[in-house]
Amino acid sequence: MATPVSGLVDPDRGYVNPAIYADQAIYEQELELVFGRSWLFLAHGSQLPNRGDFVQTYMGEDPVLVVRQRDGSVKAFLNQCRHRGMRICRSDEGTSKTFTCTYHGWAYDLEGNLINVPLEDRAYRNEIDKSKWGALKVPRVAEYKGFYFGTWSEEAPEFEEYLGDMAYYFDAVVGRWDNGLEFVGGTSKWVIDCNWKFASEQFASDIYHAQSSHASALMALVDNPAYWAGISYQSQTPGRQFGGNGHGAGSFWSEALGGPDPTYGTGDYAAWVAANKDEVFRNVGEDRALRVAGHNTIFPNFSWLGSPATMRVWHPRGPGQIEVWAWTYVPKDAPEEVKADIRLGTQRTFSPAGSFETDDGENWTEIQQVLRGWKARHNTFNAQMGLGHEERDVHGQPGETNDAFSETAARGFYRRWADLMSGLSWSEIAELDAERQATATAVPQEVREV
Amino acid sequence: MSAMTIDDIEGRTWRRACALDAVPEDEGLRLGTLPPVAVFVQDEEVFCLDDTCTHDTYSLAEGWVEDGAVECTLHLAKFDLRTGMPLRPPASVPVAVHPVKVVDGDVYVALPNAYLTKE
Repeated sequence: MATPVSGLVDPDRGYVNPAIYADQAIYEQELELVFGRSWLFLAHGSQLPNRGDFVQTYMGEDPVLVVRQRDGSVKAFLNQCRHRGMRICRSDEGTSKTFTCTYHGWAYDLEGNLINVPLEDRAYRNEIDKSKWGALKVPRVAEYKGFYFGTWSEEAPEFEEYLGDMAYYFDAVVGRWDNGLEFVGGTSKWVIDCNWKFASEQFASDIYHAQSSHASALMALVDNPAYWAGISYQSQTPGRQFGGNGHGAGSFWSEALGGPDPTYGTGDYAAWVAANKDEVFRNVGEDRALRVAGHNTIFPNFSWLGSPATMRVWHPRGPGQIEVWAWTYVPKDAPEEVKADIRLGTQRTFSPAGSFETDDGENWTEIQQVLRGWKARHNTFNAQMGLGHEERDVHGQPGETNDAFSETAARGFYRRWADLMSGLSWSEIAELDAERQATATAVPQEVREV
Repeated sequence: MSAMTIDDIEGRTWRRACALDAVPEDEGLRLGTLPPVAVFVQDEEVFCLDDTCTHDTYSLAEGWVEDGAVECTLHLAKFDLRTGMPLRPPASVPVAVHPVKVVDGDVYVALPNAYLTKE
């Protein structure tokens, strides 16, 4: 029986009840109804270049193995032996031909089919039907521009439909370069004692925090007041925030394609981007290249930034904890010194010890601590920024957008969250979305070009 | 015919197994004999062993080849490529090894006459 969540969030009025960040029963329901039914990021193709290459990751709290097959496709299955539930493969990543449980030696092939049980004749009298005891397979895996996503749901829309207008914003970063992106090897992992939604929602919907939260980091990076007016902290620069299908993306508009901020690293990256801007403009168009990068989340828990080149999954670990799994992404064709600069800039800013990263973690852990209080958990939070000022398909940007300083994406995030948590089927959600779009009052608003 | 340069071995028959460059770098090439045998290459030296792991029924050609040994991927039984001796449990019984020659880029193996081969 699903806990009713309809009273806990009200996206139409911008109310959030903080119980959704702290309640164990709600969390259990999220694992089933949100993580069990959404498309979740599994791996980037560059992590799996050859047949037999695998990474272990999580879908919610469920460990899965993501494996490059002999035919070049990528498949995934639950990393749990069907005999006594041991983790079939205990490595984080590697190359394998078979996967053998270390407990009793049940062995599986690259697709997760059970191919051997030790002592099959004596112990099982050859009576076990191995075809029925394979690992639980992730039934749907989708590849999108080198990124692999998976879902347990047979009913969820196709991945591109699930992305919807978010594809435009995703492509702005992953579709820039002729030869695509690759992940720098290895996954940075760290733990933050906070609810996963704080991180997902902030990356979807919040540039507003930067000028307050990141002020000290900014001073530490560059001791020059002229620099502090930089693009990410600009209250004067126009910019838009998109929200749709639970996803979110926000960005200020740049005058010229040179970003990222050269002070994050050596400046080699910014110079190389500027020198290769024609390739970017050809692939994603000049407007999109200049106006989209910023902060982004694909619902429910895959986020990236466009300037410090970080991508990450916020793996939930109970209502009050996440594991951040982060990667630095680089254009595959960039020269080595440019890739080195991207790594440096990302490490300094968004990494376990990154200056901005630690600001964010401090906020989220503090909020979670406050939520130990009973009164605190029965309060109401305000998510009303820019409420009613949404517009659709304006300024060349598809979908519902608002000023960069708004919470349109947050409201959309909680709307999709509540849809799923209510137990609505994906087809019912699609019908609701169509009604919402039809009844949304189209009030033209001027863009806030201050 | 170049196979003439190979000495006969009593009770065995020399057969062309494959082209040397058909053997993959990090695993073996399984031949369709009965029982199956597999050809391995390690540091430019060529070996031929019975293909089936003596611990459980699995192809050693699918295994990992390194340090003069082949390791079965299923339960990590390991065999010396030169002698066929087991190097690691759960295997305790050796696999048979067979004489090998390379002539003009082709691998020849001398299999016991009792082994069935497709002509």
